[in-house]
Amino acid sequence: MTTPVSVLRLPKGPDPNSRGFDPKSPRFIALCRTSIATSPASEADAEQLPREQHARSVLRESFLRCLLSMANKKIQFHMYERVTVEATFRASDIDVLNFQVSDLHTPIGVQKEALIRCQDVILFTFDA
Amino acid sequence: MQCGWPLLGPLQWMRYVNKQVKVKAGKDEERRGWLLTVDPVSASLVLVNFGEEEGRASVQVVMGHAVEEVEVLQEADEETTQRLQTSFLPPQTRSLDPAELRRRRGGVRRWLEKNRFPVEEEGDELKVAGVLTIAAPYGPDDCYSSNQIILDRIQKLMRNQVQLQPDHPETDPA
Repeated sequence: MTTPVSVLRLPKGPDPNSRGFDPKSPRFIALCRTSIATSPASEADAEQLPREQHARSVLRESFLRCLLSMANKKIQFHMYERVTVEATFRASDIDVLNFQVSDLHTPIGVQKEALIRCQDVILFTFDA
Repeated sequence: MQCGWPLLGPLQWMRYVNKQVKVKAGKDEERRGWLLTVDPVSASLVLVNFGEEEGRASVQVVMGHAVEEVEVLQEADEETTQRLQTSFLPPQTRSLDPAELRRRRGGVRRWLEKNRFPVEEEGDELKVAGVLTIAAPYGPDDCYSSNQIILDRIQKLMRNQVQLQPDHPETDPA
């Protein structure tokens, strides 16, 4: 399927931003922790806290570099209900809740630009 | 769906890094690979499997919320650890001689001053508006700041400089 086709839009939900991306929706607030808590063990032990913070930043930097290397590459997303789609990765949001992609190949056509909700994704793969 | 993986925390996750792991996810997905990192925000695991040739690798990222089980298969040896740690780092810039670095530093400083940003030279680095540092070799990716907005503006500005005067880094446009 190489020619982009227009994809039928699903009916709108009860409010204009209701496709799961509204930052004020209960779903978004429940899923998106606005701050990452320190572990209870680190709160108790003042020596462990700096180590935990250092580990956190090393891990996050590594992950961000991985995301950077994904930019503009073709990614296969394996989602629930045995759905696998391919798209070109463009960007992620800071909480890793949404991915912006281009040329999303779906069973009903190629969507030129799309947002993928990370909660729907089990895993994704690409070639580095 | 919930297993304890997202709750373990950075110190526990670090113990799995650089090991070969087998991850069960979703209902019946199972993947294995060398664990490069775990995202502290989403608890997602980044697994790498090296390809036949140098520099080729297949990467699988398992979302933290879908993880059912993580099992360690083996530790990495010295060579694999090295390969893992350097796989996503930006390419090493060859070190330039001091004269070239000075020339570049001066060029970048003049460009920023021309665009009305206060710049100071601090040793080998440039300090912009007191909040952003530019280290050698003074490219847009060598900027460090805790202020995202300034970082973005300065990087855009520096990329414009490269576009406007690709062959004449020393010439001040009149």
